[in-house]
Amino acid sequence: MVARKRTQRGLGAGALVVLALCVVVASTAVGAGARTDGPSALPRSQTLYVSGKQWGPYTDFNPFRQGDYATGVLGLVYETLFRYDPLKDRFIPWLATNGRWSGSTYVVTLRNLVTWSDGRPLTAADVKFSFETGKLPGSEFATMWQTGLQRVTTSGNRVSFHFRGTPNYQQWDTFRYTMPIVPRHIWASYSAQAITTGNNDDMSKLIGTGPFKYGGGKGGSQTLQWNRRDGWWANRALGKRMPMRYIVDIHNTSNTASLQNFLQSKIDLSNNFFPGIDKMIKGNVKTYYSRAPYMLAANAAWLVPNTTKKPLDDRNFRRALAFSINVGRIVRDDYGNIVSKASPTGLLPTWRKWIDTTAVRQLGYAYNVDRAKQILQQNGYRDRDGDGFVENKDGSKLDLRLIVPNGWSDWMTAIQMIADSTKAAGIKITPAYPDFNALVEERNSGKFELVINNEVQLSNGPYVYYDYLFRLPIREQQTTRNFQRYANQQAWRLTTQLNKTPSTNVARHKQLNSQLQRIMLRDLPAIPLWYNGMWAQYNTTHWTNFASASGSGLQNTPSTWNGYLNMTGIDALAKLRPR
Amino acid sequence: MSLYLARKTFLYLVTFVVAVSVDWAIPRLMPGDPINGLIARLQADPTAAEQLHGYFTESFGLDQPLWRQYLDFWRGLAQGDLGPSIAYVGSSVNDLLLNAVPYTLALLVPAILLSYIAGNRVGALAARRKALDNSVLPLAYVLTATPYMWLALVLAYVVGFRWGVLPVSGAYDFSLQPAWTWEFARSFATHWFLPFLSLFLVSFGGWAIGMRNLIIYELEADYANYLQALGAPNGLVRRYAYRNAVLPQMSGLALALGAVVGGALVTEVVFGYPGVGSLILTAVQNRDYFLLQGAFLFIIIGVLIANFVVDLLYMVVDPRTRVGAGRA
Repeated sequence: MVARKRTQRGLGAGALVVLALCVVVASTAVGAGARTDGPSALPRSQTLYVSGKQWGPYTDFNPFRQGDYATGVLGLVYETLFRYDPLKDRFIPWLATNGRWSGSTYVVTLRNLVTWSDGRPLTAADVKFSFETGKLPGSEFATMWQTGLQRVTTSGNRVSFHFRGTPNYQQWDTFRYTMPIVPRHIWASYSAQAITTGNNDDMSKLIGTGPFKYGGGKGGSQTLQWNRRDGWWANRALGKRMPMRYIVDIHNTSNTASLQNFLQSKIDLSNNFFPGIDKMIKGNVKTYYSRAPYMLAANAAWLVPNTTKKPLDDRNFRRALAFSINVGRIVRDDYGNIVSKASPTGLLPTWRKWIDTTAVRQLGYAYNVDRAKQILQQNGYRDRDGDGFVENKDGSKLDLRLIVPNGWSDWMTAIQMIADSTKAAGIKITPAYPDFNALVEERNSGKFELVINNEVQLSNGPYVYYDYLFRLPIREQQTTRNFQRYANQQAWRLTTQLNKTPSTNVARHKQLNSQLQRIMLRDLPAIPLWYNGMWAQYNTTHWTNFASASGSGLQNTPSTWNGYLNMTGIDALAKLRPR
Repeated sequence: MSLYLARKTFLYLVTFVVAVSVDWAIPRLMPGDPINGLIARLQADPTAAEQLHGYFTESFGLDQPLWRQYLDFWRGLAQGDLGPSIAYVGSSVNDLLLNAVPYTLALLVPAILLSYIAGNRVGALAARRKALDNSVLPLAYVLTATPYMWLALVLAYVVGFRWGVLPVSGAYDFSLQPAWTWEFARSFATHWFLPFLSLFLVSFGGWAIGMRNLIIYELEADYANYLQALGAPNGLVRRYAYRNAVLPQMSGLALALGAVVGGALVTEVVFGYPGVGSLILTAVQNRDYFLLQGAFLFIIIGVLIANFVVDLLYMVVDPRTRVGAGRA
């Protein structure tokens, strides 16, 4: 009896200790990311929940760090001079009302009556300041200053960008809609390091021209809240009004967790990759297209061969490889048709008008085992030891290692399917899954044999893809372009010429595109496989009128990924209607 | 006694230095250059990328020889500075950990203490009640053999997804931000329960089995038989048995801490709980030396302190240790 009493008291004391600890712990947890305004739970009918961009805490509020800033920093808070609509291939005047070339100077006229969220007006000096941050060490925008931009001058509400020699028109077009415009009166006090690589997370200084301002969630919080602000210039100038008072971004922990939240209507717009979503598209679950491939294409996945290694240095072998891969099976069985087969040029569907169809007909390829076998045979790749796989020309064993990052489950399945289908043609491929950083090391230093890559995203023209394939010179480390180390001076010269051709010169563009595509199709420096989607799933329980292929004015990019709100992502959000 | 304490403290210090050095070295043994990974994620243009590589390498101090990096690490540690994060460029590891540690502690501390208390109590009861022994014990065996992550997944699927009773991801509802309100507290509690439960259940099984076996063993010991022969009441005998059985369980607690911490980390990942476990996952994926060091440092310090406390408690509850320590 005595013993029991004692134990019970022990249990009670233990529970008290635990309770006390919980209170202490909870109080520390509450400190982080507390909200700036009063009411507790947000009204569902006025709140749009989005997800899919953010992996990890909301720490970076610096719009100059393009790949990293927290969801919405560029687009909802800071804005750009122009936006770019990839579906209609046109630039949308935004903070600028127009821009034009005058010789090698680009002159921009700023919109009147645009104010920062602290009430001060947007000035030409702000624009000059923003572009000049590209000169600072560590800037991701360094390229524009290193390749021609010389100085920026202002006069009234006009800003002039002076270039040396022929400007890189294509690159400049990209900067026009990706360069964030920040308020000089705030940012001038930041150090160079803070501007290029700082988090700039003092929320009282998060002053933008965009439709939203900070609402809460900085730091360790699992959501980031943006509150609609009054006085957004586009209300008056364009009659545009954001229908939701709050946008809450939910940071991803796993695609599975996001899928559960999405299906339970806790997320309205999900930009996550959901394997098997094709089977769930019914009722309240919708996508851009109502049929396969369901999503817009955001980039092409390429099979990148290391062209410095045998036999991948032989374009005939690469051609046989291209014929031996059954991409259709990957699209169907791995992706459930939420992606589509890539054109042999690799150019995204939005760039269709630039594809030289004659060249594709003459030089293109499609899955054909017999043809692959024939090319191998003709070029001296024979199975000498009867193991079912061809050997190198010198008779040595041939076994190619194909890598994708560990954990990228769709790609892991895809390369198994690739290995499986090339086997039929007699090419031995062994799939391997190093983790991301190990893969980057192998890829950048040129130690790999085959790798899958989708580095270059949808943008204002196919120039970026040629740059990706043909960029010279080849360095010891190839960080973001030409991983295959393919050296073709002529292709690089044509790419540079394309860069230096203004988009208005359509005939010259077509001609250069055609020449470049012929080189691509003939030499296959990399083999385009399928188009990865601009993953976007809508749950229409609380919001409707999402971006869609049908419906008037709804053809927008339905993504909150970095770089998409400043395309037509903001339009996609503005068109939403509460139920 | 003080000599005993001094010796213990010295041992803990040595363990700390060795553990922290290993903690410093292990991330650097992973293949892959963190800066290349960072630049690959930024997807910067090659012209900018080259400049960025030098810039980041220098700003993270990775251009220094290893011995200097090691010394800098200790210097930073002495000043309470765990360095900058590579995965979350611009954030300090201190800030990231400060945000995450409360969540991990909120899971770990109650799970460890409650499972220990409840497990021991149920185990002791099972030792003398046949019905309990036949019902709870088999369940305890299953629980203790269950991997933390698996149980977490099963709970998330059944309770969270199938029944839809409790939320399965995050630490509070998406419509809330941390605040001192009942609404937040309720949301926090409902989100906390499943990850807590999965940790609690696995540990509970282990403690219950251990205690049950120890009590049976103690009840068959000579002193118990002697007491019974003297006609002592059953309660008294059991009380003595319980007190003796608690001792090995306490050393067991110290030993089990590491495993529970490991379990908590994977449980956090399963439930998307924003604690240290989720940070470690990101740190490993991004070769974030500093964040990984910092997160493991938290574990090292936590486990060492807990062990030290158990050592001290042991002296209080076991008079033999006190006598031995006095002689030492």
